[in-house]
Amino acid sequence: MKKFNITVNGTAYQVEVEEVKEAKAVAAPAAKPAAAPAAPKAAPVAAAAPAAAEVGAGETGVPSPMPGKIVKVLAQAGQAVKKGDVLLILEAMKMQNEITAPVDGTVKSINVAADQSVKPNEVLAVIK
Amino acid sequence: MATVQEKIEDLKARQEKIKLGGGQKRIDKQHATGKLTARERVEKLLDPNTFVELDQFVTHRCVNFDMASVNAPAEGVVTGYGTIEGRLVYVFAQDFTVVGGSLGEMHAAKIVKVQQLALKMGAPIIGINDSGGARIQEAVDALSGYGKIFYNNTLASGVIPQISVIMGPCAGGAVYSPALTDFIYMVKNTSQMFITGPQVIKSVTAEEVTAEALGGAMTHNTTSGVAHFVAENDDDCLEQIRCLMSFLPGNNLEGSPVALNTDDVNRMDDSLNTLLPDNPNQPYNMKDVISSIVDNGDFYEVQPYFAQNIITCFARFDGQTVGIIANQPSVMAGCLDVDASDKSARFIRFCDAFNIPLVNLVDVPGFLPGVSQEYGGIIRHGAKMLYAYSEATVPKVTVITRKAYGGSYLAMCSQDLGADQVMAWPTSEIAVMGPAGAANIIFRGDPDVKAKTEQYIAEFATPYKAAERGFVDQVIEPKETRPRIITALSMLASKREQRPQKKHGNIPL
Repeated sequence: MKKFNITVNGTAYQVEVEEVKEAKAVAAPAAKPAAAPAAPKAAPVAAAAPAAAEVGAGETGVPSPMPGKIVKVLAQAGQAVKKGDVLLILEAMKMQNEITAPVDGTVKSINVAADQSVKPNEVLAVIK
Repeated sequence: MATVQEKIEDLKARQEKIKLGGGQKRIDKQHATGKLTARERVEKLLDPNTFVELDQFVTHRCVNFDMASVNAPAEGVVTGYGTIEGRLVYVFAQDFTVVGGSLGEMHAAKIVKVQQLALKMGAPIIGINDSGGARIQEAVDALSGYGKIFYNNTLASGVIPQISVIMGPCAGGAVYSPALTDFIYMVKNTSQMFITGPQVIKSVTAEEVTAEALGGAMTHNTTSGVAHFVAENDDDCLEQIRCLMSFLPGNNLEGSPVALNTDDVNRMDDSLNTLLPDNPNQPYNMKDVISSIVDNGDFYEVQPYFAQNIITCFARFDGQTVGIIANQPSVMAGCLDVDASDKSARFIRFCDAFNIPLVNLVDVPGFLPGVSQEYGGIIRHGAKMLYAYSEATVPKVTVITRKAYGGSYLAMCSQDLGADQVMAWPTSEIAVMGPAGAANIIFRGDPDVKAKTEQYIAEFATPYKAAERGFVDQVIEPKETRPRIITALSMLASKREQRPQKKHGNIPL
């Protein structure tokens, strides 16, 4: 068990962190309750976490290369795809960009819908 | 007293021993990991039987920590000269079988000697790195060795092409000699570059990472942009270097070798007239344009995996080497971002330093908007492109295929940045910003906004507004692109451009 002093927006918090050897994925959420009081204000920092958490071991996330708007969803969850198959069309920079599968596999989830705006690096789909 | 014959035999015996490097056992080990030995690499890189080895008998003079008893044949580095396609090059290759290829005072002195010879003779130098790092026993003498190599790398920069080849570990200070050179080759699975290795990183930041993930060939070819080329294995790598050398001059006062051209200079490719989709918001592959217009469709891409939204490659027009910089609409809409700016600016400066004309293929929607880009310094990185193009005095030919908007239009070598010839396809849209956005501002609140936007597009999203002002020299049919570029380059062959005297400029780094 290690103790850290963390200052968020000028308020100091003392946080205890325990390293769990077997299950690394569990370790991060375990630390959160301790920091709970700070959670609302720390939101921008925490925002990255959910997107990352959706991609499990052995799965490949398909991140948005740039900010834009999804205009078309071409693939569905459960569908088998080959590397290079078009999953989505992202309109950005005056272009209908094809978002393709980075690997062969099955679409585990499509996390966006048509007309939705997306941020860079947002996980648009997950392939397993 | 030994006879002459005995002395000759003695020389042969000494040479044979040195050629075995660290011994057969270590050579076998090197082979088992899929690597060639230093001498095999040099032999394969150069034309057969042209390698002349220098300083075979150099030995270290370290006596610390039992080093006096350590025999290091050729001081762990094979140096010398030879030819590639009949043209002189200097080489050094670190020998991992000898004290782990570690760099000590005399090892460095051998490298510095060939660096200085290469600079004096105006011939390229190729350095093959396969070393455990500094020879710690030699302490500051080893450090001083690195320092001298860096210094000579810098003196030679822009005078002779310097190629670095990573064919094993290259860690710590050792990475900076390759980083100072023009191009870095890496081999998949057997080469790594990093400042601090996985173990140090783990102890300092508790991050766990493998050596390959941290500094392997694909990491530096995709993520960091440190390396320029990736090879499947040593043989593939050496073959690629020979290919690269065929495009480059020996030094900054020479022109590139002219290849025998078997491709018709007046060849027009009808498929270019139909390559672009009717909808300007749909992507196409700019590499199709490149392979259609260059000699025999051959081009050699630099950093093919890094910042793929811009393409940088060497190719030939009528046998003459050119450097091509092209936006890639099928990756991130071909926009300019931090990485694309860095990649192209460095390539432009290399070409300019070595008298290689620039051909720019433009389809650029703009600079990528976003907080991360602004925080990442897109202003200062983007400025590198403006600087590099403006500074370049080699012939510059720009062909606009479609979009050319705002600052990115300028950054892709517009006439104002010194393009000697600007050509535009009739599909070009040269304007200050995208037509929809512009119409939204100009016709804000107008009830007839849709019709007026259409009218705006028809009038302004064309090459003709720019051509009216003379910013575009020629509006051409896409299929005419090859002959027009060749004619322009031939017209520009005698280009002379004077610049004010200065020590050096201050490119925004």
